[in-house]
Amino acid sequence: MHYVFQFGIVYDNLPLLLHGALLTIRLSALAMLFGAVVGVLGAAVSTSSSRWARGIVRAYVEVIRNTPFLVQLFIIYFSLPAIGLRFRADQAALLGMTINLGAYATEIIRGGIESIPAGQIEAGRALGLRRWHIFRFIVLLPALRVVYPALVSQFILLMLGSSVISSISAEDLTAVTNSLQSTTFRSFEFYFAATAIYFVMALGFRLVLDGLGWLLFQRRTAS
Amino acid sequence: MKKLMMAALALLFCIGAVQAQTLDRILKDKKIRVAVEVDSPPFGVLDSAGEPDGLEIAAVRQLAKDLGVTLEMVQVTAPARIPAVLAGRADVAIASLSMTLDRAKTVAFANPHGALTIVIAAPAGTKIASAADLSGKRIGLTRGTLEEATVPKIAPKDCEIVFFDDISVTIQALVSGQVDGAGMSGFAAKAIADKNPAKQLESKFTVTTAYYAAVVRPGDWDLLHWINTWVFLHKRDGFLAGIYEKYTGLKLPDLPTM
Repeated sequence: MHYVFQFGIVYDNLPLLLHGALLTIRLSALAMLFGAVVGVLGAAVSTSSSRWARGIVRAYVEVIRNTPFLVQLFIIYFSLPAIGLRFRADQAALLGMTINLGAYATEIIRGGIESIPAGQIEAGRALGLRRWHIFRFIVLLPALRVVYPALVSQFILLMLGSSVISSISAEDLTAVTNSLQSTTFRSFEFYFAATAIYFVMALGFRLVLDGLGWLLFQRRTAS
Repeated sequence: MKKLMMAALALLFCIGAVQAQTLDRILKDKKIRVAVEVDSPPFGVLDSAGEPDGLEIAAVRQLAKDLGVTLEMVQVTAPARIPAVLAGRADVAIASLSMTLDRAKTVAFANPHGALTIVIAAPAGTKIASAADLSGKRIGLTRGTLEEATVPKIAPKDCEIVFFDDISVTIQALVSGQVDGAGMSGFAAKAIADKNPAKQLESKFTVTTAYYAAVVRPGDWDLLHWINTWVFLHKRDGFLAGIYEKYTGLKLPDLPTM
């Protein structure tokens, strides 16, 4: 079988591809931020004493973690308009990514919190620290430090998984790639290029997140 | 020297094998692989038993029967129809592929065996009567389709065009009101209007009329010629008109020959 690769066409369309990559980066970064917040709140609630609140968070985590991301996106984009909630494609994508990541982050951070020995919390109480301070310094920060690598992996997975948002017409890297390959028919070249860009983005996110982890945790321990 | 000649012979044989004519191979293997769509009514859908059915599927079944070989349907979505043939996953794509000059640069078209219109579909309450009325509207299109190639050219600058990967998703966007209108084939518009009477969807205006044909890899002239013969004979015996009427309720337009 003969196939002549023509990468020139990829260079010609590089600005379009990078424009798509930029949307992927922007949505992923925002979803990581919001998802982490949802995760911390969810984990705090799911380790709290209120049975009701725990049940609600449990249900949220189980429903999201046991259904496909694409279906979640379709519900937000296509079904919510029926009850008057209409989002643009990129808004729906950000909402879906945040809700999805929030569930996974809740579960990861909860694991970290539960790994904190009870004695450590008792020590905090014995020192007369307030509840908020105990949660913040004795429970949350050490817990986040333990689960941070797992959290970073989940963040990267979210960024890669965001390729499905092209299905609801968000113009991310995958959408741009699909459009270009469907008009030029150079599918090999464009999918190779997209693969390379995703790879670089994943490396970039990992570097930034590792750096952030160092700032948040390692530096404090060292001083 | 002898070794070298053997190697040269082997090489020649290899080249010969690579260039073996596709039609011969299909007849020898007793199997043809056809790229088909099953998400594009009335061309190809899945029936209640999960079996492919539709206008193009009926044509594909007849084609395999006339060749006397078994049929392997390679189910693809609209953007994957041409790549599936180019990548060798299928010998031919018969999936409502409209003839365009751009596509003809990459694949070879047979003579058309059907025709379709591209229309803008929208709810009855939306005022769209011509291309100029698309101004300020959000219009959904499916990637890798004829509507993607034609609608942006006639749309005013301030018409927002959004793209979906799959006709069923485009239709979903229209039904849920995420787009004001959508470009699609006249059949698809009629089918969804019939299925969603409450939404009062209708065809607003015809963007273009197109002829669709089978496509093969460039160079597969033997297979292409056989398909052309097949189209000619089934135009004459009324088979193509028969399935067109059965699946669309419409009369088959006059099909010119290339």
